[in-house]
Amino acid sequence: MIALRGLTKRYGAVTAVDNLSLDIAAGRVTGFLGPNGAGKSTTMRMVLGLDRPTAGSARVNGRPYATMRHPLREVGALLDAKAVHPGRTARSHLRAMARSNGIAGTRVDEVLATVGLAEVAGKRAGTYSLGMGQRLGIAGALLGDPPVLMFDEPVNGLDPDGVRWVRQLMRSLAAEGRTVFVSSHLMSEMQLTADHLVVIGKGRLIADATIVEVIAASSVTAVRVRGPEPAGLAALRDRLVAGSVSVESRDGGLIVTGATVEEVGDLAYRLGVHLHELSTREASLEEAYLELTADSVEYAALARSGEVA
Amino acid sequence: MGAVGTAVRPAGGSGNAASGGGSGRAAGGGLGGAVAAEWTKLWSVRSIWWSLLAGVVLMVATSAQLAIYTANSNTNADPSDNEGVVAVGTTAIRALELAQFALVALAMLAITSEYSTGTIRATLQWVPRRGRLLLAKTAVVGSVVFVAGALLGILGAFVARPVLGGWASFPASGTLGDALAIGLYLALIGAFTLGVGAALRSAVATLITVFMILTVVPALLQASSITVIARVADGLPGVAGEHFMLRDTAPYPAGVGLAVLAAWAVAGLVAGLLVLRRRDA
Repeated sequence: MIALRGLTKRYGAVTAVDNLSLDIAAGRVTGFLGPNGAGKSTTMRMVLGLDRPTAGSARVNGRPYATMRHPLREVGALLDAKAVHPGRTARSHLRAMARSNGIAGTRVDEVLATVGLAEVAGKRAGTYSLGMGQRLGIAGALLGDPPVLMFDEPVNGLDPDGVRWVRQLMRSLAAEGRTVFVSSHLMSEMQLTADHLVVIGKGRLIADATIVEVIAASSVTAVRVRGPEPAGLAALRDRLVAGSVSVESRDGGLIVTGATVEEVGDLAYRLGVHLHELSTREASLEEAYLELTADSVEYAALARSGEVA
Repeated sequence: MGAVGTAVRPAGGSGNAASGGGSGRAAGGGLGGAVAAEWTKLWSVRSIWWSLLAGVVLMVATSAQLAIYTANSNTNADPSDNEGVVAVGTTAIRALELAQFALVALAMLAITSEYSTGTIRATLQWVPRRGRLLLAKTAVVGSVVFVAGALLGILGAFVARPVLGGWASFPASGTLGDALAIGLYLALIGAFTLGVGAALRSAVATLITVFMILTVVPALLQASSITVIARVADGLPGVAGEHFMLRDTAPYPAGVGLAVLAAWAVAGLVAGLLVLRRRDA
């Protein structure tokens, strides 16, 4: 388990991480989301003791990372796949890594096989593609067979096959009871991989909830009502609004947020309104996320309107 | 790339999945693990071989050149510059003025390449204690440079001997002592360089700093006609190291030269440690 308490990092006047307190539980995949510059990588670096917090603490299994004698056996992390000397072979890199924490040398070949790099393990890391470097970083995270794993953008540079592999890897690691904490900006990928979400923006915690809760809370999740009688629909709208439900008229129909499809259907029946459509439109994780982080996007493009991303 | 399995087996050897293992009592890790990792890292990149090759080339060339100068001085028409019979170890020591920079480069790259390649972020995940990491690097770089330096000293002596011809003296134990002194000098200069590299992080800044302190500043100070200024040079590591290696009695005994040199090494390492501790990786 990873526990952050009042974790804060300031660079001069800029606050990169602002009083972040949360627990990342074992046995599930926790997605870590936020716009560029939200403080995701800084948070992960502080957990690993690479950056010193301005205030607060980050503990893994109750202890600060820097106090562990065998940190690689307790926390495996992929932060930056490029953090490998380009002149060193993948095998030498992992061998040095294993020796530093008293991990058996046979484990090096095991993880190289797991990530599919066994055949190129004798090549210098500088010759690797982005995806191969990413696999080497994942091999390093798995090396100490740690109960806690952190991955910063693990699918960067991977082909679709690799993306699927990482997804299954995360799921199986969590199924084994490990803590899996993954940052990503690919919402569709997170929707498939994560059980739980932590969303931050401008260093502050925006959401700490399950995916289901995040999507349900989105205003994009709505009930759509369509019918041939404008007067009936107007009556329905008035009753809904009176019940402090938000209703929007669109394309001769209604978009209702804050009420379930059952509630709307029952009300329409009681009012005797003739309906042609009564459907739910569920937000995608991407829509829910964009809504959550709308106020904290630091590097937004100037013309956002035409953008799909 | 072939198909990739998804299974993550519980690790052979260290299996402690989801149990939060790795207590302080378990084997491996610690300073011993850090030293083993640094040793593996040092020998698994090509730059160490280039550094050692450069050391050999510089030592052979400089030692031979200095031996030719000595022979010329002894045989030319001017009797005032005669050096007489010279111990071959002394020629090797004087050749360090140039040859030492090959091993300075070796020590420097052991730390600055971590920053230029980003490897430092991996290294500090393996060994999060800054003091332990720097100690491990110092032990590995120091011992490698000590052995390489002593061997270079012997090489320089063997190169100087035939060139000096009749002007050479080759006392076996004295030459061995010279070689060990060269090894010790270079190991301490290596430790100093490592500390400066950890403090400055950049290869260029480190090399310029060490070059200034070892070569440029002493030359400028010694050129001064004011005695006090010229004497300040005796407090610099290169000059102190030379007094130590040549077993001088003035301006201070050889042991003091060694102490001054060691103080510079410690100061460099302390500066490096402070920066490692304070600054984010």
